[in-house]
Amino acid sequence: MKAPEPRARSAPFDAVVVGAGPAGASAALCMAQRGASVLLLERGATAGSKSMFGGMLPYCPAAERLVPGFWDEAPWERHVVRRSLSLIGEGTSTTMSFEADSFDSPPYAGVTVFRPLFDRWLAEQACKAGATLLTGVVARELLKDQADRVVGVVVDGPQGQIRAPVVIACDGVLSFLAEQAGLRRAFNTSQMALGVKALFHVGEREINRRFDLVRRQGTTWEFLGATEGVRGGGFLYTQLETVSAGLVLHLDSLQSRGLAPYEILERFLARPLVAGLLRGARLVEYSAHLLPEGGVQMVPRLSRAGLMIAGDAAALCYTNGLIQEGMNLAMTSGLLAGETALEALGTNDTGGDSLASYDDRLKESFVLRDMATYGRAPEMMRNERLYSVYPTLVGQILQRMYASDGNPRPSVRAIARQELKGQGSLPRLARDLWEGVRAI
Amino acid sequence: MITDILFNLVSYRIDEEPHIRVDQAKCASCANRACTFACPARCYEWNQGRGQLDFAHEACLECGTCLLVCEAGAVTWHYPRGGCGVRYRLT
Repeated sequence: MKAPEPRARSAPFDAVVVGAGPAGASAALCMAQRGASVLLLERGATAGSKSMFGGMLPYCPAAERLVPGFWDEAPWERHVVRRSLSLIGEGTSTTMSFEADSFDSPPYAGVTVFRPLFDRWLAEQACKAGATLLTGVVARELLKDQADRVVGVVVDGPQGQIRAPVVIACDGVLSFLAEQAGLRRAFNTSQMALGVKALFHVGEREINRRFDLVRRQGTTWEFLGATEGVRGGGFLYTQLETVSAGLVLHLDSLQSRGLAPYEILERFLARPLVAGLLRGARLVEYSAHLLPEGGVQMVPRLSRAGLMIAGDAAALCYTNGLIQEGMNLAMTSGLLAGETALEALGTNDTGGDSLASYDDRLKESFVLRDMATYGRAPEMMRNERLYSVYPTLVGQILQRMYASDGNPRPSVRAIARQELKGQGSLPRLARDLWEGVRAI
Repeated sequence: MITDILFNLVSYRIDEEPHIRVDQAKCASCANRACTFACPARCYEWNQGRGQLDFAHEACLECGTCLLVCEAGAVTWHYPRGGCGVRYRLT
């Protein structure tokens, strides 16, 4: 840590926001709208150039608060009308699809987005509101004063030290700034998942035909049991002209199984169910990123004197097996951090006690409430049986129900009992079911 | 394999200064070498003949998997210089 001069000249910015993803751009936009001078730093050549997510942004009131008319203005791809889940067994697949009429009209429950486009657009909104965006700049360190209070950041290049009474770190899942600040504990494999994604150009009409969609309807599709015993899942998301196909793999499980993510991905893409949807499609991009998957227990204290953290940097991301949220939590936390900063600047007090109200705001919001509601989910999702035994078991039971072989059929209950005998005890199944129900 | 055509699928502005360093002494005695299979860009390969870990920072997708899965504490990893590294283009 470089020692700052004892009496610094007054800071040129009210706040420095590190990272122009959805959290950082939201924080900068919120502050700039109310007249604060904000510097938004981005390590990529453009905002969004390091973002690989092609997934779903759930409906999020923060978006509308930041950009009135957001859902008409923002560059999203398709509105999601169908959520599907397939259980992949040995030689079987069992798919559940949920559709709701209400998903097909605004306000949409969720839209698919391309982050490189979306992030650039959101950062532009921040700039239009008066924020200064500096791209191609990495914030390496926090600048602290003698009282251990964060007073700015140290960046590569000619800018050197940039001082501000408030720093908002939105530097992503591997937030080295939050780690340096002592907020995030050392990153570890048991709380992280690796996402790998292949992007296919399929074409707008062909996507509609293959996925049974019309207009700009979209779908999300998750797969359980397709990860070769590694805890995790597969996914397909429809964008306007492209389809994202990929896997999310628990890092500790991948590590202990000794499998390569791109090999599991290639075999996932070759499964008949997936291959049929992507037949003849052109592979146009491949990407990888980590996700914080430790749930609410991974969320650290979110502020200290002069500093707040938001989005993935604060591990605000969760899945309960059915839903995956992150981007809406990032935008909401960015907005709340921005509002806290404005209030603190207004009273000329950006100390730890003042910024701690950000922690309280998040606890009162849906962000940490939802994460607390699903607080047991990460533990439940460490159950290996979810990823192999149960998808196979479901397939075996249904296969015997649907197949005819000329012999008298046993009852469904008898089939289930017989299949369960081979695959695990009934008490264990009951316990797993109970844990599953409790977790969500 | 998808990683064999990585440079056709992703744009990079390569930083001549590697943003990854490995401690070969630690790699030599590492039992699992998880980096060699877990890295999604296949940047790491154990070279049996030379008894060392070959790695190429140029293809790095900047996910940080290697940093986390390394059991020997041999990986030093930071973000590439501003504007350098992977650039998702299409999107």
